[in-house]
Amino acid sequence: MFNFAFNSFYEAIYMNGHGIYVWSVLFIVFFSLLVFFTVYRYKIKKIKEKLDELN
Amino acid sequence: MIKKFIHQFASPKTFLLQVERSYSFIFFTSLCIYVFSIVWGLLFTPEDFVQGNSYRIMYLHVPASFLSQSLYIAMAVSSVTYLIWRVKLAAYLVIAIAPIGAMTTFIALISGSIWGIPTWGTWWQWDARITSTLILFIMYLGLISLHNSFSNYEKADKLLSWLVIVGAVNIPIIKKSVDWWSTLHQSASITLTEKPSIDPVMLYPLIGAIIGFFGLIVCLILMSSKNQIFIREKNKSWVKDYV
Amino acid sequence: MEILKIEFLKLRKKTRIWLGPILVFWLIMIAYPLTVELLQDRLQIGFFSVLWIAILISMMLATEDIFTEDYNDGSLEQTIIQESSFQVGIGLKVFVYWFLIGIPVSLLSFIFSFGTTQNFELSLPIFPLSLISSYIFLNIFVLGNSLSLNKGSVLGALVTMPIALPVLIVLGKGMTALQFDINFESFILLLLGSLSIIIVLIPIVVSYIIKAHLE
Repeated sequence: MFNFAFNSFYEAIYMNGHGIYVWSVLFIVFFSLLVFFTVYRYKIKKIKEKLDELN
Repeated sequence: MIKKFIHQFASPKTFLLQVERSYSFIFFTSLCIYVFSIVWGLLFTPEDFVQGNSYRIMYLHVPASFLSQSLYIAMAVSSVTYLIWRVKLAAYLVIAIAPIGAMTTFIALISGSIWGIPTWGTWWQWDARITSTLILFIMYLGLISLHNSFSNYEKADKLLSWLVIVGAVNIPIIKKSVDWWSTLHQSASITLTEKPSIDPVMLYPLIGAIIGFFGLIVCLILMSSKNQIFIREKNKSWVKDYV
Repeated sequence: MEILKIEFLKLRKKTRIWLGPILVFWLIMIAYPLTVELLQDRLQIGFFSVLWIAILISMMLATEDIFTEDYNDGSLEQTIIQESSFQVGIGLKVFVYWFLIGIPVSLLSFIFSFGTTQNFELSLPIFPLSLISSYIFLNIFVLGNSLSLNKGSVLGALVTMPIALPVLIVLGKGMTALQFDINFESFILLLLGSLSIIIVLIPIVVSYIIKAHLE
């Protein structure tokens, strides 16, 4: 079940010409998640600072 | 009894305490499951006989697509809860989920388009499933803009909830579009009622990816709702004490 | 019956509101052949798409100010307090708009369709399809208008447009079914079924939304 599906690292990147599609989708998904986590973290930090000032 | 339970559990203060307690656990567990399943799916599953290696996009596309619809249903349930039982937290959740729903729908659309290039020979087709998902994306944007156009939060919450409930009519249309109309998009490989048409070797990492992605999205919703609670309840004494 | 009469008289007096959308529909349908110079002999290719979009836009324009005047002069508040069934009042208001705008537009749809395709059998079903779809669109945009009351009608149209888009998909599929003579009746029934749900639900939802605005 856990056999490496490719013969080499290069083959895993290239994926018979489909690598560009697979890796670009992977990048988009992780980038979107990263952006959202960062934005919410920043927003919460900002509002906490604001509430601290009010206190 | 339901009303009592909802009101006890859904106090913003209790919710916030629960979030603090469980956030790290959900986040790290989901991240591990997601990364493990993605690595498993992308590198350790055999090549598909028909689609070649491009089918591996499934491990990223399916979880996003599944959640894009599920999040709308979650919004509709929250809207009903808010309108019937007047639970404030439910209203906060509706607007907290909307941008995240838009993000997952965006990922589903983009990943589907990229997957379409090697599989269908085109990145876009005006067919039922793709068009209805685009409509869902526009709906999410519309919901966000409607809420942002009112300065009175209570009014905005009510209007948003009504629109979410009416817009929920799109969800069965999206879900069933591949069965009702002839379309390039394949029918669902995993359903609750039938045996999956996908090989177990490919299925297990997919289930892992769905669970992991779901957990990460739950974390995003928790953060987003925490942000909403701070904005809305900033004048309450408990928030000042909490901060 | 009294409400119906009052709504009818009120709308009839506001010529700009009911005549405007009909004229816009007319203008779009006249403008269409002018924009496809090279396809003059094959106008029917994109005709039905333009027709549905024209109906959609004219219904969007028709509902632009449906509640604005009543909201500004306070009569909407009065109606909520006085009327025992506010929902029925809204339902009748939409019906009057459909009667004065939707029916003429549907009639024009049939005439333009016959003029373009020269095919009576193909054009005749356009009339019931236009009647049903215009009523559905009116209801959807009334919902949008109630959501964006005093915020401009563009916002309302934008947020409810996605709900109207599946109707366009069904209309497109219906026309294909009609042209190839395959199960066209099921599309009419589907639209009628949707309309029967919408007619009941939208006035109820709109009444709650207007109450939320006035609270």
